[in-house]
Amino acid sequence: MNHEQFNNRNVSETYYLVDIEDYPTDGWGKFKRVVKRTFRGELFVGLWVVLREMIKFDIHTVQYPQEKMPIGPRYRAVHEMKRLWESGTERCIGCGLCEKICISDCIRMDTRVDENSRKEVTEYSINLGRCIFCGYCAEVCPELAITHGGRYENASEQREHFVMFEDMLTPIDALKAGKQLEFEGFGAITPHEDERVKKTPLSY
Amino acid sequence: MEKLINFKIDGISVEAKKGETILNVARKNGIYIPTMCYISKTTPCASCRMCVVEAKGVEGFVLSCNTPPTEGIEITTNTKELEHERTNIMKLYDVNHPLECGVCDKSGECDLQNKTLEFGVSTQNFSARDQARKIENWGLINYDPSLCILCEKCVHVCNEVIGDDAIEVKFGGYSSTIIPKNSETLDCTFCGECIAVCPVGALVSSDFKYSANAWELERVPATCVHCSAGCSLEYETRHVGINGDASIYRVKNNFEFASLCGAGRFGFDFENRDTSDETAFHKAVEAVQGAKVIRFSSMITNEETHILQLLKEKLGIKLFNEDARKYQEFMKAYSSISGKKHHSGSLDAIKLSDAAIVIGTRVATDNPALRYALTTASKHNGAKIVYAHPIEDALMQNTVTQFMKYEVGTEEGVLALLANALLKDADLGEDERAFFDALDLGYLEAESNIGHEEISEMIKSFSRTKNHVLIIGNDLIAHERALNIAKLAALIEKHSDFSLIIVPNEVNTLGVSLIADLDEDEDCIDVVGYNAKGNFLISSLKFANLSVGALNQQEGTFVNIDNRVLPTNVAVKFDGYTLSDLASACGVESKNTVDYTANLNPKSGFKNINFDSLSNFLSPLGKDTRGYLLDEVACEMNGKLETVSDLPEFNGTVIYNSNPVLQFNGYTNITKQLEKDNTLRGSAQFATAARISDGDRVEIRFGTQMIIREFKLDNTLKGTIALNPMFDNVADASRYKFEKSKIMRVSHE
Repeated sequence: MNHEQFNNRNVSETYYLVDIEDYPTDGWGKFKRVVKRTFRGELFVGLWVVLREMIKFDIHTVQYPQEKMPIGPRYRAVHEMKRLWESGTERCIGCGLCEKICISDCIRMDTRVDENSRKEVTEYSINLGRCIFCGYCAEVCPELAITHGGRYENASEQREHFVMFEDMLTPIDALKAGKQLEFEGFGAITPHEDERVKKTPLSY
Repeated sequence: MEKLINFKIDGISVEAKKGETILNVARKNGIYIPTMCYISKTTPCASCRMCVVEAKGVEGFVLSCNTPPTEGIEITTNTKELEHERTNIMKLYDVNHPLECGVCDKSGECDLQNKTLEFGVSTQNFSARDQARKIENWGLINYDPSLCILCEKCVHVCNEVIGDDAIEVKFGGYSSTIIPKNSETLDCTFCGECIAVCPVGALVSSDFKYSANAWELERVPATCVHCSAGCSLEYETRHVGINGDASIYRVKNNFEFASLCGAGRFGFDFENRDTSDETAFHKAVEAVQGAKVIRFSSMITNEETHILQLLKEKLGIKLFNEDARKYQEFMKAYSSISGKKHHSGSLDAIKLSDAAIVIGTRVATDNPALRYALTTASKHNGAKIVYAHPIEDALMQNTVTQFMKYEVGTEEGVLALLANALLKDADLGEDERAFFDALDLGYLEAESNIGHEEISEMIKSFSRTKNHVLIIGNDLIAHERALNIAKLAALIEKHSDFSLIIVPNEVNTLGVSLIADLDEDEDCIDVVGYNAKGNFLISSLKFANLSVGALNQQEGTFVNIDNRVLPTNVAVKFDGYTLSDLASACGVESKNTVDYTANLNPKSGFKNINFDSLSNFLSPLGKDTRGYLLDEVACEMNGKLETVSDLPEFNGTVIYNSNPVLQFNGYTNITKQLEKDNTLRGSAQFATAARISDGDRVEIRFGTQMIIREFKLDNTLKGTIALNPMFDNVADASRYKFEKSKIMRVSHE
């Protein structure tokens, strides 16, 4: 394959080279440059711009951390564990695929058989100190149980504060209020999936 | 030379031996035919019909798993029609199969999963009304009928290889299930072989259920340590909890060709969690240096035995191990007649035999692998199996063709009678002929209670058989007349076509007897016990002065009943010192324990092979490539038979020190899953004679020992001998197992 077309950077006729003066080499030259820059009055140009914008009262700065920018639905920050919409139970079935696929080996879980002979996840932990937020766990999860969320601020006294399973799990009141967000990133169900599901022919 | 059948599979010329099926030949030649229900070690189940092939000139499809080829036939394994047929079978298997692969224990190693993907079944074309099916909990085994595909592997294995015959198919079309045979719940020896062969997650281990997944477990190839069969197994390990260390989760085996009993499968968690520190180690060094004796058990690797032998040579101490010493003496006497060091038989020889005599061992509990081999011989070759023992064994009842009940203590007489009958027409030496001529047959028959008719019935049943095996158990090895018995056994092996197996008691009794120079046990002080009794205990069990790793925490080799040197590996780490460290501190130069593997006693047939060069697996066609077989060693033939004089009599209350199913030793005793039934079990007849009844606490006195146990009435037992378990370390396993005893009822305190 020919790469020339990609290497050619002259994409527009209006491009031109900036005329940059050569750097002074001798002491006298340097002295002249300092004097020139000092008494040119450029400083007041900048001060004027600031003053002008202040008087206008049209400020676009986001007042972080009081204010936050909205984050894309596919953003991959600290994990979230989702609940089933219908019953409110945890979606995680403890299949262990996230643990297996994790390339930085930061997920660990323990399961057992519970009183109703169902598989129960007794412990679940993600070591965020190791996690590289690659999104494989969310991708492999057959139940859309583990996803990435938008909580990107990893500042706390301890890293362990982020790996509490209870913190990752959707609060039950948030679920009831319909506030659980489905992750739209890789691994999520494509839109209109319901229409593509074929039904089993039931001949009886 | 056997005639070979020449035919073609997919245009490739192949040869079949007599008795081989098309599938066997195809697999041998690397031609793939899919199967769901086929398992090499049983007769074909022929329930899946996946293995269909086309034969030229034959209308319709042929089942390759149970059809032998004919000369010149042309077989095709892969056509459009066959593909369609097989895909349809897979579609039927998938009808209503629960979509719970996410949690199923079998997921990742499931035959149904593999084949569904292989045949690309992505939709369900057929349907049936699903039924409510109850998950059954059968103790160690859990059965989920909705996952079951009715391949019948479990039933075939249970019946043909294990011999329990505990499960069967309840036929009923779509509602067919596997049910316990003639019983409400599963009543069997819990070998767990049905779990191993189950291609789906229908039969699973209750303990393992939902605790881990196939892909998370690390497999450690090892050798089972509970009996002398040395079965191959894989410990599967994984971390415990979030931050825990590796621990064994389950045991698997190559179920296609090999079997495993329940002790191997469920009794894996005997590792030593204690640690040993420096102070304890220094005390141990002092103890060993000041000791006169090291007493050790046969639950030890060859390498460590070698280290003990080096310690003996360096420090001039004695080595006690009665179990191995008796075996050593027995084999020495055997060699003096046979002229060779090792017995000729093997477990494979039993599987191929069509006539076997078992004497002096309760095989089903002493060595389950031996029992499975006998069952295989019985079911596959219709073998005649003569079982000579004072106590009948209900577990062997389906297998044994003739039960020969002899009086306790008369083993020498019984073997003399057998030898006399088997060697009637043999070409014997003068002395040997004179020995048989001098036998007082009438006296022996009367004392041992083996009638002339019984012997002639046995000879008659053996008349058309070709492959004979004689299996000799611990009752003969530990007998006070063991040496003469050994010579008689050697004589039978030498002058008849019988191959001989002398069953070692514990995992490495045989290995220890070949390596260590043992002294006769005596009561003395300054004894260091290495996994055995002593003043200073170095042990992998509780109450040790210095803790060491258990056998699943060590690498090394064992010698099993087949005279095969088998490697085992570390499944769980032990945090502490080893015997090798101790020996180094005592001046025996050593690095790692397994460095000695190549230096093991060459005079006993050990080869100069490094530990890391020993393989530990079965080939894809089932050939045993584990470790190596000991070289045969020629011995001097200077043994003379002694005349059989008076046979001892055991009157009064007699107990037999014999473990219940799945219990073997102190290690099986500490496992979580295995049942620990340490009651004295006896028949109703015994209860009447001893004047005790079910549930009584009784005091048992035998030899110098006194123990208190609960008495349990066991309806499967007959006669006047009760079974006293010894896995809880109350009885010395190396002694003759029948004991005259006094049994008294004690009141509940």
